[in-house]
Amino acid sequence: MVAHGIEIRVDTEVCMGSGNCLFWAPGSFDLDDDGRSYVLDPEVTDEERLVVVAGGCPVGAISLWRDGRRLDTGAP
Amino acid sequence: MTTTEVRGTTTDDAGASDVVIPFDPYELQDTVAGDVRDPFPIMAELLAASPVHVGQIDLGAGASESFGPIEPVTVMGFDECVQVLRDNETFSSQIYEGVIGMVMGRTILQMDEPEHRVQRALVSPAFRSKMLERWEEGLVRTVVNELIDGFADRGHADLVKEVTFNFPVQVIARILGLPRRDYPKFQRWAVEITSVATNWDRGVAASEALRDYFAGVLAERRAEPDDDLITELVNVEVDGQRLTDEEIYSFLRLLLPAGVETTYRASGSLLYGLLTHPTQLDAVRADRSLIPQAFEEAIRWEPPVTVILRRATRDTELAGVTIPEGADVALLLGAANHDARKYENPDEFDMFRAVRQHVGFGFGVHVCLGMHLARMETRVAVDTLLDRLPDLRLDPEPGQDLHIRGLAFRSPVALPVSFQVG
Repeated sequence: MVAHGIEIRVDTEVCMGSGNCLFWAPGSFDLDDDGRSYVLDPEVTDEERLVVVAGGCPVGAISLWRDGRRLDTGAP
Repeated sequence: MTTTEVRGTTTDDAGASDVVIPFDPYELQDTVAGDVRDPFPIMAELLAASPVHVGQIDLGAGASESFGPIEPVTVMGFDECVQVLRDNETFSSQIYEGVIGMVMGRTILQMDEPEHRVQRALVSPAFRSKMLERWEEGLVRTVVNELIDGFADRGHADLVKEVTFNFPVQVIARILGLPRRDYPKFQRWAVEITSVATNWDRGVAASEALRDYFAGVLAERRAEPDDDLITELVNVEVDGQRLTDEEIYSFLRLLLPAGVETTYRASGSLLYGLLTHPTQLDAVRADRSLIPQAFEEAIRWEPPVTVILRRATRDTELAGVTIPEGADVALLLGAANHDARKYENPDEFDMFRAVRQHVGFGFGVHVCLGMHLARMETRVAVDTLLDRLPDLRLDPEPGQDLHIRGLAFRSPVALPVSFQVG
């Protein structure tokens, strides 16, 4: 897999711990003891899947960034 | 805000459900779903005209009911459903205080923020995928194996009647740590409380009986903690907050429609999708790691719950349509998951389609709490069926009309299968 250079950001104030990101991209996310999502390794998940994960976050807590610009994932 | 908590009776009697009446829970469950075969073409037609409709619509079961002077609103578009479910200030869940709140008691289903977030944080640790792992082998796989033992030497079975209808309630009973002798009574209450719309008195009686029953179990767990969900709910504490006993009773009752009915229907629709698409079934049989994506496609294709409700808290606008304060808003998850603007060939079951977000588990802060449990249970069930039943295939009687049915809830009418014995 070619490195996509995406930075994942999780807004922990917004995250409600659904665990959806962990289900779809297990190597890139985990939940902490308080049930908040945090980022592991973005590169183990391909770009297309990351866009689905970020856009599919039920509360829109996940954003994707590359070279300082936010990618469009369909999330607000 | 009015309180809609259902209080149990104060008598020692466990309730009317202890009276033995000839009862086939399997016969009862079909009456609640809505007798419609295929609502998707009508939904597609309405959706193509507008993703949001004001006024009553008819999806094949007669016009929807209207409860007040304000016209109901129906949202069918995918993006529009997501928009509503993300905006939980404009679109309130308090609408569930009605029927469901009266039967289950006050639960997270009907709460808005910030109350919802606090309550959900208390119950959600038990439903995280890591916490669920410990139930997988000894508990879920055991339940499914025992059900398969009942027909494995017969060479044929109806997987709806003999597996999917039974396994979720037995899984919940075991996760709650209930004694085996109580399973029949628990399954009966589960069906009665879930079908309250068809028999109000019986549903309310089941709710009261469950409250009294859980009160006894709670007392036992306090005296003697165990490794089960009820002990977890008794002990959980987040930021100094704990669940009251009434909150625990209400939450446990909500598990029955939310955790039993839905998984029964979703697992049936997944098996229907696979059995009617032999190439996809063969792929899953050969590579079990494909089960999760097959299940997600089944939930997209045939969400077990096709409609959820919200109420507008202020005048607003959605897709150019004006929605007045107080309007009841029905979100047709089934229509959204078949939105042709989002999915190619939306009516096709295709587990190899490009992964897309779906709203089969809902969306927003109320997204299905039990989705990881449903995913795990169904994965284990399908995996075990394929292990135990070689050459599993659909085998209907001549003329038997197999299909998925229902409006509010959908699932296959039957899954007659044959397989090799031995």
